[in-house]
Amino acid sequence: MSTRRDLRNHIHELYQENGASNALLQMLSQLIPESMQEELLQDEKQGCPEHYVDSLPRVNKNKIEDHETCSICCCRYKEDEYPLVVELPHCGHCFDLECVAVWLSKRTTCPLCRDDVLSHKPKVDVSQVEMEDDWGMYG
Amino acid sequence: MASLPKRIIKETERLVSDPVPGITAIPHEDNLRYFEVTIEGPEQSPYENGVFGLELFLPDDYPMEAPKVRFLTKIYHPNIDRLGRICLDVLKTNWSPALQIRTVLLSVQALLASPNPNDPLANDVAEDWLQHEDAAIAKAREWTKLYATRQ
Repeated sequence: MSTRRDLRNHIHELYQENGASNALLQMLSQLIPESMQEELLQDEKQGCPEHYVDSLPRVNKNKIEDHETCSICCCRYKEDEYPLVVELPHCGHCFDLECVAVWLSKRTTCPLCRDDVLSHKPKVDVSQVEMEDDWGMYG
Repeated sequence: MASLPKRIIKETERLVSDPVPGITAIPHEDNLRYFEVTIEGPEQSPYENGVFGLELFLPDDYPMEAPKVRFLTKIYHPNIDRLGRICLDVLKTNWSPALQIRTVLLSVQALLASPNPNDPLANDVAEDWLQHEDAAIAKAREWTKLYATRQ
């Protein structure tokens, strides 16, 4: 079994012979198993579905303090006459919708606390819901 | 080139008006996304009394993408390789758009204070660090004196 150091020396030799040719890069890329190559590619696409971002609760303008800033663009929300601010449902951190939407299209974590926003199942309280007796009987 | 986002302007202003102790970051005249950085080696680390030069570049997607940071000064550290590339979680998988240039540079400074040979980038340095820690620290100190002395 060749050691890591041997491998490194071999690659170094190849590099010296061929310079920055594609052959070397191609050889190196073959070292990564195909399944992992896909995983790496997919990893970059992982984000929240669009409907999740669209469904984020808006923060009412009069609940926003004058000095509060969005930690992504570092600007005061109130700089905008009609600020569009959303709150992440579980951790409660707020951001400009425009800013956090870009991030959540790539990742699923809160920028401030790294909470995985998709890891929480939406809580639907069904205890108060009574099934109607004539459910589905009438059109 | 697209105009500079307000956030980058704000960060730059604050880096100048309220600098982080032991760290300087000056934007390049021709390219305001490129910073010349210096970090002082933390006290009681093998890098103490050294001043390390780095370059920091804000990619087009910043802050959705982490800044690119690289050591220009030669340094003996298990998480920094010969090309100056840094193995640091916040620069890769743990990047968040709520982090800033100053917080990233503070993390780099903290990495100098606590090298982590169990998560190496420079394999030979890390092996050295794990097997002969005293000698490795002495070498890091020597390199600091040789390459990172304030001019």
